[in-house]
Amino acid sequence: MSPADITVIAIVIGSIALFGGATVLAMGWAFRNGQFENFQQGAASIFGPDEPIGEMTDAFPVKRAAKHAAQPESQD
Amino acid sequence: MAAATQTPDYDRQRAAAERAAIDASCRGPVLYFSASAVFWLLIGSVLAIIASTKMHSPYFLTGTPELTFGRMRMAHLQAVALGWSSMATMAASLWMMCRLARAELIYPKILLASATLWNVGTFLAVFGIIFGGGQSVEWLDAPQYAPPFFIAGLGIVSAWVAAVFRRRREPHVYVTQWYILAAVFWFPWLYTVAVMMIFWSPATGVVQPIVNWWFNHNFLGLWLTPVAVGTAYYIIPKVIGRPIHSYYLSITGFWALALFYSWAGMHHLIGGPVPAWLVTASVVGSMMMFIPVIAVAINHHMTMLGHFHRAKYSPALRFTVFGAITYTWVSFQGAIESLKSFSEVAHFTHYTVAHAHLGAYGFVAMIFFGLFYYMIPRLTGREWASASLIRVHFWTAAVGITIYFVGLSIGGWWQGRMLNDPNVPFGNIITYLKPYFLTRTIAGILMTTGHLAFATLFIMNLAGWGKKRVGGPTYFVEPLKTTNSPNAKN
Amino acid sequence: MDRGMVIFLGSLLTFASSWLGLVLFPFWQLQGEQPYQADPADDPYPRPLQGKALEGKKIYQREGCLYCHSQQVRSETFGNWWDENGNERTGADIKRGWGLRRTVSRDYIYDRPTMLGTMRTGPDLANVGSRYSESWQHVHTFNPRAFNDWSVMPSFAYLYRKEKIVGERSDNALKLGREWTIDPGYRWRPSASEWDAILANQGAAIMSQFLAGAASDIDVTTPEGKKRLMEFWLTTEEEGFQIVPTDEANALNAYLLALRKAEVPLPEAKE
Repeated sequence: MSPADITVIAIVIGSIALFGGATVLAMGWAFRNGQFENFQQGAASIFGPDEPIGEMTDAFPVKRAAKHAAQPESQD
Repeated sequence: MAAATQTPDYDRQRAAAERAAIDASCRGPVLYFSASAVFWLLIGSVLAIIASTKMHSPYFLTGTPELTFGRMRMAHLQAVALGWSSMATMAASLWMMCRLARAELIYPKILLASATLWNVGTFLAVFGIIFGGGQSVEWLDAPQYAPPFFIAGLGIVSAWVAAVFRRRREPHVYVTQWYILAAVFWFPWLYTVAVMMIFWSPATGVVQPIVNWWFNHNFLGLWLTPVAVGTAYYIIPKVIGRPIHSYYLSITGFWALALFYSWAGMHHLIGGPVPAWLVTASVVGSMMMFIPVIAVAINHHMTMLGHFHRAKYSPALRFTVFGAITYTWVSFQGAIESLKSFSEVAHFTHYTVAHAHLGAYGFVAMIFFGLFYYMIPRLTGREWASASLIRVHFWTAAVGITIYFVGLSIGGWWQGRMLNDPNVPFGNIITYLKPYFLTRTIAGILMTTGHLAFATLFIMNLAGWGKKRVGGPTYFVEPLKTTNSPNAKN
Repeated sequence: MDRGMVIFLGSLLTFASSWLGLVLFPFWQLQGEQPYQADPADDPYPRPLQGKALEGKKIYQREGCLYCHSQQVRSETFGNWWDENGNERTGADIKRGWGLRRTVSRDYIYDRPTMLGTMRTGPDLANVGSRYSESWQHVHTFNPRAFNDWSVMPSFAYLYRKEKIVGERSDNALKLGREWTIDPGYRWRPSASEWDAILANQGAAIMSQFLAGAASDIDVTTPEGKKRLMEFWLTTEEEGFQIVPTDEANALNAYLLALRKAEVPLPEAKE
């Protein structure tokens, strides 16, 4: 192995340690902080009183399709 | 979560008014970005048809240096990648960030300047190439006076997206926002490094193509893809009124994409004079892409499960779901394509071109079409003027990209097999390919027809030809009429 | 710490890893590469482009040649195919005559930009300078279909000038049949009536030109005879006019002739 190869390997191992360590720290923080809890609440955050879950919000600009779309459908 | 029917009218109106005010604050810049994107889409389509026709009929428009194949090819890429796709990406980022943060856009006039800078950059790139300034650096062919305009325009957009995010009133950071934030952070870095190492202070020899492919692949992977995937994460649940299937998967998918997509791309140099470890590392990244792709696929498609019939009624949903399905397909294909045994055949052929178009058009462009069908009426307060034109757009685009992909994939694959066999004379390969080149032109004409329909709808909508929406669900609230908005803007 | 910071740090770290791995490592590994000298008395290889060839590279860039022509020869172990006996074989680039060896990173140390290319609608050009003569390149650039009727390469006739011959035909005038020159870039064949008109005007001269190089006579009263004479006439050069390369055509040609990347043996390119 040439010195250049050893340098490359050293850099690779160093980077794995650096980035791997950062990942481990980040995961640890995320667990402790409760980032893995209550996921489904987040998914509902794009809905609100005006555009609630169960209501379609887009339709072709014709009467027939608009009627279909406007009918609220119950969900969950 | 309260069911729709139990929500008091007061809350509903308040929420609708808030959203209308946010949409109104975005109106100027986002419409400007969108209109510019559509304009460059048309220019790019014309350039594409000229270039494609020349591949099977080399005497078409010959004799004019400005219209020679190489220049049309380079100008087409700049028009669709930097003009259409990037400006649509920026329009999407700004609008969705405002909506999801529940914050209004501040100082919209500066964003008008940003869009102008970007338009000037694209204009200089496209016409600079046509008049002899092309660089022959894939995806970065723009003459050297164009990049500063892109970097300046991009800097403003990234800063504004970050500023809106900081002003957010919605406590939850939705997955779409993750993707947008990351994309507007990655792309300026990516672009500046690439321009610097290839043009401003060129790196030695083959380091340039390495940087070049790192840029090219990440242009799709870390700029267009995150925003397009994020758009689907917003449009699909929003249109059908159903939260995404698994929020946990969506976050996992985000981090897997961030980590692995950035490592892909070097397989475009397979067999070339570059260090072998580089290609290997990149193939590992490509294979790992199965994780985020499967996560996104499960989410998008499971959310849609049982609701696919709704694509019949919603143009936004129809385009977006087409794009989301294509994303799954093109990413699986891309991961497999990066394998050495596969790349040995597909490299240097039109198979790769088919794949690139499936990604950039079948996935990214289709999702942005979907977004535009949803977003534009909410910005202008008007319905689309014609349902038939929307259907024309959808079917020409869908059939066009299918013909394009199938034709060039078959032709390109056999081109690769023949190139690998030294006993096949070169002329036989070209003769074999010509009919497949013709299918590309046919597909291009189809797609361009769709773009004309789309542009017509867009102009009609801006000109106020569409019906004003009255009554019904709140999705077309007229923004200017809102009075009780808690944060109305003057 | 809020989630915005998580997203920022996470996307910073993930992207930094790829930047480090795919850009900076190769940069450090390759930036110091020097030209090769087998013997101190030899000329170092490679050498930077100079003069006309350097100008020609700009034409090559501006016309987007890269989009159909790669500049890299791959190793003999790359890419499989099957011979007529069904045995699996590898490597096509060298067997196609595109170079004597595979190209390596050292071949490109002076290239700006390095146009490795990713498409082979046309053949590889890494070593094209050793394959064709200057006059072949000029005719081919003027109209590729003058040699290969299947070619889809654009005609670059606009890099050439058509001029009236004053005195002698110029030395660097292209040796092109009339078929390719009447309307530069297009193949031109007279229609039956056009050919009759031409025969009425200069039939005798064409006939004597034909007879000077051929043993047998042609009977132009028959349709076959007329057609044979036309085929001959189309291969002759246009009278009174010549096609000469512009400076740009000469520069492009100089660049193509300077592309000899896969010839000089390099120790790392053995395989």
